Amino acid sequence: MLESFQKSLTWVHTWFGLVLGFVLMSVFFFGSLSVFDREIDRWAIPETRFGPQPLPSYDRVLAPIFARIKPDADELAMGEARVGKPLPAGLPLKSWSVYTTHRDPVLTLWGEFAIDNPNAPEDHVHGHITIDPRSGAALPGDPLAIGSRFFYPMHFSLHLRWLSLGYWIVGLAALSMLVALVSGVVIHRKLFRELFTFRPQKNLQRSSLDLHNLTGVVALPFHFMFALTGMIIFAEIYLPLSETTFKPFHDAHERAEAAAKNLPLKPAGVAAPLASVDAMVDEAKRRWAARDMPGEVGWLIVEHAGDANAYVAVYRAGSDRVSLVGQQIYFEGTTGKVLYEAPPPSAIASISHWLTGLHLQHFRHWLLRWLYVLGGLSGCVCIATGLVFFVNKRKRRHAEEGIAGARWADALAVTAVLGPLTAALAMLVANRVLPGALPDRGEWQERTFWAAWLVSFLHAAWRSAPAQQARLAPAWREQCWGVVLLAAAAVIANWISTGDHLLRTVSARYWPVAGFDLALSCTALIAGAAALRLGRNERRQSAGVERDDALQDDDGALEAVHG
Amino acid sequence: MITQHPSRLHITSRVAASLLGSYAFVWGFVSLVSASSLWAGVPYDDAMQLSSWLGMLLFVASVCGAFTVTSLARVWAVLAGGGALMTGAAWLLLRGLS
Repeated sequence: MLESFQKSLTWVHTWFGLVLGFVLMSVFFFGSLSVFDREIDRWAIPETRFGPQPLPSYDRVLAPIFARIKPDADELAMGEARVGKPLPAGLPLKSWSVYTTHRDPVLTLWGEFAIDNPNAPEDHVHGHITIDPRSGAALPGDPLAIGSRFFYPMHFSLHLRWLSLGYWIVGLAALSMLVALVSGVVIHRKLFRELFTFRPQKNLQRSSLDLHNLTGVVALPFHFMFALTGMIIFAEIYLPLSETTFKPFHDAHERAEAAAKNLPLKPAGVAAPLASVDAMVDEAKRRWAARDMPGEVGWLIVEHAGDANAYVAVYRAGSDRVSLVGQQIYFEGTTGKVLYEAPPPSAIASISHWLTGLHLQHFRHWLLRWLYVLGGLSGCVCIATGLVFFVNKRKRRHAEEGIAGARWADALAVTAVLGPLTAALAMLVANRVLPGALPDRGEWQERTFWAAWLVSFLHAAWRSAPAQQARLAPAWREQCWGVVLLAAAAVIANWISTGDHLLRTVSARYWPVAGFDLALSCTALIAGAAALRLGRNERRQSAGVERDDALQDDDGALEAVHG
Repeated sequence: MITQHPSRLHITSRVAASLLGSYAFVWGFVSLVSASSLWAGVPYDDAMQLSSWLGMLLFVASVCGAFTVTSLARVWAVLAGGGALMTGAAWLLLRGLS
């Protein structure tokens, strides 16, 4: 588009990076939080602060609880909206399922109920009960699991359900990340040198570009693999061939597969009791061990429960490897006889399991888990410094020409970088201070999250005005102080409301809560240090000591090339 | 070759080509690779997965290419035209298969 290959790619890097950077920041930030989603759940639901539990006996503990599951009220409301009329009471049961990992103390049991929708034959609604597996008692009040049910879906859907818009925006952001990485490498070409270059004492522009290059290059394989595997995981949403041009082939393949597995696709309509599921679980474990892959059950499904055509699928938990292999075994519900055992995966399927497993990390490996967090946060630093660089490069020129572009880019950068942090922290504080008996307590926490983000935007729009005069926007410093206050408040509120202060949780080695409180404390310290430094720079700037866009050093030429 | 700043219309058209044009191109490519794989006897899931991985990588290259190829007309012709051609070829292959 421009006069050279390199300049054209610089344009792409700059503008795709800016526009999608605002979204990418949230994807990386909430993705990093999702690595420890279960641990955040423990922090947010104090009554579940105990060690991970094995799957209890189906026959004795789970079966009677499954029988109690009714469709959830919000699921019923959404189902009625899809069908366009009230749903009858006593919807027919489709399936029961339960899913657990090596990090779950509590267990959620799910039920699927068929609804009569002429436009979607497989349409259904869900119901669930969360239990303490040690006693089988239901967790009262169905508290919101902030980590796994709010931050995690935020990471891949932005909670924008309408037309799956969130998935598409996140997919476009992932595509832009890959484009930014490729174009970034082409722009610089001095990758090795950038691994070792960070000059924090130079001017803001120089240090932010150093840090942008450093985090981009050091974690390049991580960023590349995560953006790519993220797109691959949702490939069927982005390229719905199986639902459109390939539908006849897809359906024929599904029928052939079902015929090969010998699984009944439809209920018989005749009631029949289920054989011992515990015996099926034992048999599945025996067969996995015989394949030299002994393991625990991660996912268990009872299809057509209570019907003569019932069958049970038992999946292996993926705690011991990157690759997300199910190794599922299917049993006939009424007899417990093995119907089908998944064969060893094909070469393509093995790669697919590995790529998916790499992104979804079901494995038990705490060091690797922390490296994921560091990789994700380095992505956040890379995006944030890119946004800062964009603004500072244009601030003076825009100020002289009377253009407001840089100022609004700065305001949006504050909203994109500090907004998610502010919103997440405000939500955690709300989680600890809202009264326990408040109806819709989960919804109030979600409202706090969005309201705090809105406040972050309004504040950034107001307090970025000095950027119009080519000065540092006070919004950055003030929101850093906001982060300090909220992070400290979250730790203290956890202490007051549960008695679990850091001394207690660390000495008890209860890492889910101790680790999260430590992470919150570090957040407060880092934000405080950043706020102090920003304040110093603002004072120096008003004293006229330093022009923050001074590019008179010998690397000015390199920067001139960049955006 | 453009030597001065490109016009607003030119930039809009470039961005549209890089995203919509690339999407059409990738759709056609993935359709054609999947259909040819099915034709060659590759199992359904393998065919669809392999083609979509290649498609995602192609998407990245195509977005970059849409900005680096000098002639915008050629970008649109290759992406939209190529996408339509490959989608058509895939459709013919699938018709022969069913």
